Amino acid sequence: MSRARPIERAALVVAVLVAALAVLGPLLAPHDPYAVNLAQSLQGPSAEHWFGTDVNGRDVLSRLLYGARETLPATLVVIAAATLIGTLIGTLAALGGKVLDEVLMRITDIGLSLPSIILALGLAAALGPGLRSAVIALALTWWPGYARLVRTLVREVKDAEYVDAARTLGVSRLRLVFAHILPNALGALYVQTTLDVSAVMLVISGLSFVGVGAQVPSAEWGAMIAAAANNLTNGWWAVVFPGLAIMLTALAYNLVGDWLRVRNDPTLREGAR
Amino acid sequence: MARFLLRRLITSVVVLAGLAVVTFLMTQVLPGDPARAAAGRNATAEQVAQVRARLGLDQPLWDQFLGYLGRLAHGDLGTSVFTQRPVLDDVAAMLPASVELVLAAMVINVVVAVPLGAFAAYRRGRAADTAARIVALLGMAVPVFWLGLMLQLVLAAQLRVFPLTGQLSFGHQVPRITGMTTLDGLLAGDWAALADALAHLALPAVTLAAAFVAVVARTVRSSMITTLDSDYIALARATGAGEFRVVVRHGLRNALVPASTILGMQLGWMLGSTVLVESIFGRTGIGAYAVTAVLQNDLYAVIGTVLVIGVVFVVMNVIVDLVQLWLNPRLRHTGRRRATPVAA
Amino acid sequence: MTETLLAVRDLRIAFPGRTGPVEVVHGIDLDLARGEKVALVGESGSGKSVTARAVLRLDPDARLSGRIDLAGVDVLALPARRLREIRGARAGLVFQDPLASLNPVMTIGWQIIQPLVIRGVPKRIARRRAIDLLTRLGVRDAAHRFDDYPHQFSGGMRQRVVIAIAVIAEPALLIADEPTTALDVRVQARVLELLRELAAERDMAVLLITHDLGIVAGFADRAVVMRHGRTVESGPVEEIYARPRHEYTRALLAAVPRIGGDPSRPLAVIGEGETC
Repeated sequence: MSRARPIERAALVVAVLVAALAVLGPLLAPHDPYAVNLAQSLQGPSAEHWFGTDVNGRDVLSRLLYGARETLPATLVVIAAATLIGTLIGTLAALGGKVLDEVLMRITDIGLSLPSIILALGLAAALGPGLRSAVIALALTWWPGYARLVRTLVREVKDAEYVDAARTLGVSRLRLVFAHILPNALGALYVQTTLDVSAVMLVISGLSFVGVGAQVPSAEWGAMIAAAANNLTNGWWAVVFPGLAIMLTALAYNLVGDWLRVRNDPTLREGAR
Repeated sequence: MARFLLRRLITSVVVLAGLAVVTFLMTQVLPGDPARAAAGRNATAEQVAQVRARLGLDQPLWDQFLGYLGRLAHGDLGTSVFTQRPVLDDVAAMLPASVELVLAAMVINVVVAVPLGAFAAYRRGRAADTAARIVALLGMAVPVFWLGLMLQLVLAAQLRVFPLTGQLSFGHQVPRITGMTTLDGLLAGDWAALADALAHLALPAVTLAAAFVAVVARTVRSSMITTLDSDYIALARATGAGEFRVVVRHGLRNALVPASTILGMQLGWMLGSTVLVESIFGRTGIGAYAVTAVLQNDLYAVIGTVLVIGVVFVVMNVIVDLVQLWLNPRLRHTGRRRATPVAA
Repeated sequence: MTETLLAVRDLRIAFPGRTGPVEVVHGIDLDLARGEKVALVGESGSGKSVTARAVLRLDPDARLSGRIDLAGVDVLALPARRLREIRGARAGLVFQDPLASLNPVMTIGWQIIQPLVIRGVPKRIARRRAIDLLTRLGVRDAAHRFDDYPHQFSGGMRQRVVIAIAVIAEPALLIADEPTTALDVRVQARVLELLRELAAERDMAVLLITHDLGIVAGFADRAVVMRHGRTVESGPVEEIYARPRHEYTRALLAAVPRIGGDPSRPLAVIGEGETC
């Protein structure tokens, strides 16, 4: 049951492919993504420009390839930072005693109970517009989910026999946490992080779309859509293709995450088809 | 029941306090001089000094926070640099249009997601289930703002089925009673205006709903599967109830208990997502206001929006708790007439 | 011989398995006269429950062959709509676990009147009949408890509610699948007594499914002993008690705790081991 079906294998391929394109973008891009050429403004898809050109005459395909280098790393940084903060807070809550647990979990509740896009919008506004602000703001609003999850996972593991065994052997507290508890607890975390890639990517591109994230002339996918939205009717391709890129990538990561979730949780295998 | 409500109320208060702290901190990380930002770009040095004294920016952080809380308690969210009006007035003027949009999206969400999830559960593992899963996965992957643009492109610009932007066509007018165009049209008895307002509402509402349908459908599906496998459903069948009746009358309410929690949280998230939808469709709501405020560096307007959306979110959660009490009788009677545990 | 109510002939039941259909009941014959009380006895996995559920075709996955005649109706040949008509009206069903059998989010009153409401009985009349029935089943203050929820009832009271759901449409046959297993001993006796009284008042036949020969003695007229999907023995209860012909029946009988028996005596091992 845990073997990947064709659609999941395809999703895995797409997910890896998008990452590869982000790395190799500059080598593959047929045109300079930032070269303004007003004579070529709003050309439809053609052999020369597969995905057409935007209002400034820039090649949409090339910009997409470069844009992957902004959207994907930004997403990964948010997830990495949020995971780090969440793991720290979740572990402290699980192991730090009742009072600390209560305080940290109430703070987590606050974070969980407010819409992250609004918090991120406010934070990004306070930090000043830019992709960096969007990333910081989002990392600061995304960790509570991980904190909650890590707390549960660590609490499960900390009473396990092998941890007790290590404890009786006189292993130091710090070593106990890093060498014995965390590695076992965090196994399940990567499923959630994979599932979150698409959600974070959508919010980042959304923040860029409204102008809080990546700024002109950035080729970040959300920013590309924002810049092209004014010419929606006479240059639809500059809106359609970046959107499809976001959707396809998000879909691929969702499918992979879903597959990992089912594979990791035997109770879901039945009927989860 | 009282204990349940009390616990939820305490949580709400904690969240509100946290919201106050977070927004206060936002005013603190502001690059540059908050007094100048609050006073506005064209303020004189004297005005800035006045604002500084009024906001207590020359005092210790703790006193500043208390002052901030005091102003919040009086509904003073500061003044918008951009509109030159109190932020609270701006937000109050903008909120109805957003609430209208969110409610419409929620109606679409429920009407689509609940039957979709229930049907997928009923036909589990069959083609309909797979189709529902694909719809759900697509819904979770599509960027909201892009979907809005696509609907605009195809249904408004090309096919001209719906108006492109705005809340009401030129030539129609409704009295401002609730601030929700459709409701005002209804109250005024102006059917043409109501129809026009609904046509304007359709695309943004569908756009906003799309991302949320997937999650609800999934939740309903999984809880409906558990429900349909239960003995009381078998018993309902054994008494001769038809399949539709078994699923809808006997099963749906059970399946909706977990979904109602999600739906409640989604009301808040939807209000947040208006940020991505309203500007596209030229609706003058709180989301569009927040975006403009951010782009104009109008920090107090941004923070005011964050606060109001946060408060609405908390209020929504309390309402969800009440709905849960209605849906799930077991919550209602904790403490009263304990059932004796079944032997074996 | 009185009028036959249920006649099961060569009933075979199979479920889809990984490598094709798996037959769990291999040709059962079963007869019930009107008003007769028959016990279908066997350990879990013997096929007694699926046989009972087959009478109303309650397992959609099950493949049934043979013949089931319920009050002159060929159950296995019925289209879905006609099948729904006989469910609840010709035969009612009581499951083992009363808590799981009741919908937690609906009032017990709503659940009891459903079999009537779907047959077009006005709510007001259905309500009165339900309250009368609950009172008859020993639920005190039934009118006030009508709008209570299952979690507000004790185990024994819940099983009375389930019985009320099963019999309110006045079926000629009640199939009770381990109706007392989940209840404590004193309540067990009372529930069986109620079933017996109800059967007598309404001339209702009862098919009691149980693994416990101990409760069969005071209740049923006849017993059918099943094992591994086959009938091993059947006849009047007294006869089976007095002269069990099959070794398996003797083992089941030996497992019944008796007052005055030696409590230190180990339970008899039933031959051939477990089936499930």
